[in-house]
Amino acid sequence: MAGDEFEAEALRHLDALYRTALRMTRSEADAEDLVQETYIRAFRFREQFTLGTNMKAWLFRILTNTFINTYRRKAAQPEVTDLEGVDEFSLYRRMADDRAASSSPDPETELLNRVVDTEVTDALEELPEKFRTAVLLDVEGFSYKEIAEMLSIPIGTVMSRLHRGRKFLQKRLYDLARERGIAAVRTPQKG
Amino acid sequence: MNCNDCVERLYAFLDLELDEKELAQVRAHVAGCDDCGDQLGLEARFLDRLRDCCTSDVAPTLLRERVILKIRGASPPAS
Repeated sequence: MAGDEFEAEALRHLDALYRTALRMTRSEADAEDLVQETYIRAFRFREQFTLGTNMKAWLFRILTNTFINTYRRKAAQPEVTDLEGVDEFSLYRRMADDRAASSSPDPETELLNRVVDTEVTDALEELPEKFRTAVLLDVEGFSYKEIAEMLSIPIGTVMSRLHRGRKFLQKRLYDLARERGIAAVRTPQKG
Repeated sequence: MNCNDCVERLYAFLDLELDEKELAQVRAHVAGCDDCGDQLGLEARFLDRLRDCCTSDVAPTLLRERVILKIRGASPPAS
């Protein structure tokens, strides 16, 4: 691949790398450093990129490795978040219980529409890193196998991290909706 | 396939990670089970919402410029 072509193709993924780095490091400055470092390494080792393979996956592998080796240690650790019990959480079941008491014809959609983007991304940033990373890579469209390779973990572990990460997010959004008294979610009756 | 088997496979189904056989089993179950069908719909909307929230940010213009400077500096033209 000619240099210009390689550069153009690599830069097409800058937005995706940046937003993922931002959520990995939870710091704009660290995200920018991480992305720059990723590109520097990608160009240094560009001979190792196999023509015709997935450039996005290759860049994300470099991003993930760089994050794990360099930034993980300095990235602010999340508040200790208890993932106990999230496996059993079912937004669907909770909503089914609430549906009878709700005035909304479609409380699930209302809940998902009423939470704002920053509430979703804040909830994501509360996730412990190993779960968050799996969710972020999934959001970028990578397969279980690609995520497993990037993180050097078995596919079964990818599936369980995605499952628990998603359940945690659903629980956070449900609790948030409840705190704010979104109409779709039944508030506990007193007395 | 019963409801438990189906619910256990919902994410793999939505992530397009099931093999042909299980894919057909989930489809058949969901077609005949409103409860699992509704649950599938909710999980699908949740994943869409999550993806939308996470993929809207763009890199700062200055970062793009800095990256271009770095990589051009690191890789002299091949003439």
